[in-house]
Amino acid sequence: MRSEFIRIYKSVHTWTGIVAGMALFIAFYAGAITLFKEPLARWATPPSATHGTAVPLDQAPNLIAQTLRDHPAAAKDFRLHLKAAEHLPSGLAWQVLEAGADDHDHSSARHFVATLDTGGVARVEAAHPSRLAEFIDTLHRVVGLPVDTDPNRWIMGIIAALYAVALVSGVIVLLPSLVKDLFALRVGRNLKRMWLDAHNVVGIVSLPFHVVMALTAVVFAYHDGFYFIQDKLIHDGKWATAFSSGGAPAKAPPRDPAAMRPPAELLASAQDFSPSFQATSLQYLNVTGPRAAVRVWGHDPTAHSPRFVGGFVAIDPYSGKIMNVDFLPGRQSLPNAIVSSFFALHFGTFGGTPVQWMYFLLGLAGAWLFYSGNLLWVETRRIKAARDDDGSHYPPAQRRDARWMAAATVGICLGAVCGISLTIVAAKWLHGRVDDLNAWHQVLYYAVFFGALAWAFGIGAARAAIHLLRLAAVFTFAIPLTSLLAWLLPSLGMWTHGSAATLGVDATALAGGLGFVWLARATTRRAMQGSTDSVWSIRREKS
Amino acid sequence: MNTAKPKAIAHDWFSKTLAGTLLGFTLSIGCAGLFNALAGDMPLGVRGQLAMWLTAPVWKGALSGVYFFRDGKRAWAWLGGANLLVFGLLAALRLG
Repeated sequence: MRSEFIRIYKSVHTWTGIVAGMALFIAFYAGAITLFKEPLARWATPPSATHGTAVPLDQAPNLIAQTLRDHPAAAKDFRLHLKAAEHLPSGLAWQVLEAGADDHDHSSARHFVATLDTGGVARVEAAHPSRLAEFIDTLHRVVGLPVDTDPNRWIMGIIAALYAVALVSGVIVLLPSLVKDLFALRVGRNLKRMWLDAHNVVGIVSLPFHVVMALTAVVFAYHDGFYFIQDKLIHDGKWATAFSSGGAPAKAPPRDPAAMRPPAELLASAQDFSPSFQATSLQYLNVTGPRAAVRVWGHDPTAHSPRFVGGFVAIDPYSGKIMNVDFLPGRQSLPNAIVSSFFALHFGTFGGTPVQWMYFLLGLAGAWLFYSGNLLWVETRRIKAARDDDGSHYPPAQRRDARWMAAATVGICLGAVCGISLTIVAAKWLHGRVDDLNAWHQVLYYAVFFGALAWAFGIGAARAAIHLLRLAAVFTFAIPLTSLLAWLLPSLGMWTHGSAATLGVDATALAGGLGFVWLARATTRRAMQGSTDSVWSIRREKS
Repeated sequence: MNTAKPKAIAHDWFSKTLAGTLLGFTLSIGCAGLFNALAGDMPLGVRGQLAMWLTAPVWKGALSGVYFFRDGKRAWAWLGGANLLVFGLLAALRLG
């Protein structure tokens, strides 16, 4: 390949990377945490009488009948949870969306739960589920912006497009020297060489993961637009008909939900159809209408799942007949299984917990990849002290763009890290002490994020990196410490769940805190002992 | 050493990027249309989803590769030609 192309693609890689890198850092760091969204939601949910146990299946028909009689609005879409977990209601749950809300944005929804009391009478209460895990997921989906709306997804789509181009161009630049460079991690005095080697090896080794993420992110951002255009141009406007079953009459007398088969029977139908399927919940849709359906959601350990929360088989609740298996893991047609694999590859919903941990580590490695890319950008623009400098001169001043980029990188990346840890801690400390905890999660995150950014620009990247890494360690250690304190001092009004999933959150945060301590120490060492002709040095004396 | 120095490659950042973005996108829609026409046995619901998923790799592939063209004009010409070919095939398939 002509070296000119390499130079051109080096420019492409540099500029797409530098524009998208920091947004992608947030997406990957928050995305890695989002893999454990459920454990985090459980960790953040206070103990309650209406949550944490599963309603016995034989009592479910009674609960459903009473709930639909008193709350007909629930008939459109409600869910029966089969598993017990801290954040799952002991019965039915449904939500009422605000009119006109974006269909990806559930932040304004009102939640209700119905449970049976000891006398077998249904009690309906408004629920206020913690949106902590959802908020972190949103940060990941729209690169650090607060809500998942159309304009924000457009921004995310542009970042994803730049990311895709950065990936291809990075590979093109590396190709000619790939064999020579791949297994070479030249640890030594040439720090830039070492960072570049590390950046290359992480990038190449996790390339398949990144290709998946870049392409799926483009689709997640723009699928509405793609479908709209393709409907006009290649489906002749028939796209909407692909998902309507047609046949059923539009006007039909409302059906009596009491005539539905009991949940145990619907579950048995699902189990008969797919013995390896493990059901977790039943989603009842339009049960009084002509197109009533129950989606039996769950996982299949032998197959990949089409959605983050699993897959489903749709069953007619009145006849018990299987209606649709397009989303049933392991039982899909080949084309449906291929489409589902794109989702599964993004979400890591194949191979169970080991793959989730692998994705978690790949996500963190991705965040590091973007961080190291920015460091290389800064390093390339470094002004070195003259070679014949005998130590009698002050180190040369560094370029302003390099200083600002270093400050932005440190402020944005570590600001997001600190903000996420603090907002997790707040789930326990602020519960019951503030009116709108979910708004506080956002306020705290952005206060820390912008505070960190201002701090980094105020005192410079070298000092801010040390401070913010220490702050990240403190906030992250506060996650398990809060749980420990809540357990030791119940009078504080906080809680510590004993489930493995929630203790796993504490253990992971403990490990994360130790990681930040280590990074803070390494950063301090570099600032104090590294070369003085660098934006990362805080030594003022002559070198 | 080759003394006949090859002609320099024009950067044409704006022209090439625009060609990759616009013509790459139309090309991706055309390829999705071709897939849709050729996979006619598949039910529309899943065929349309696969066609939609085809858009991103073709579009981003074209946008990523566009800087290999010697100059912006060639980028527009080649990608324009590819578009004509794909949409021409699509029209032929529909008529035929």
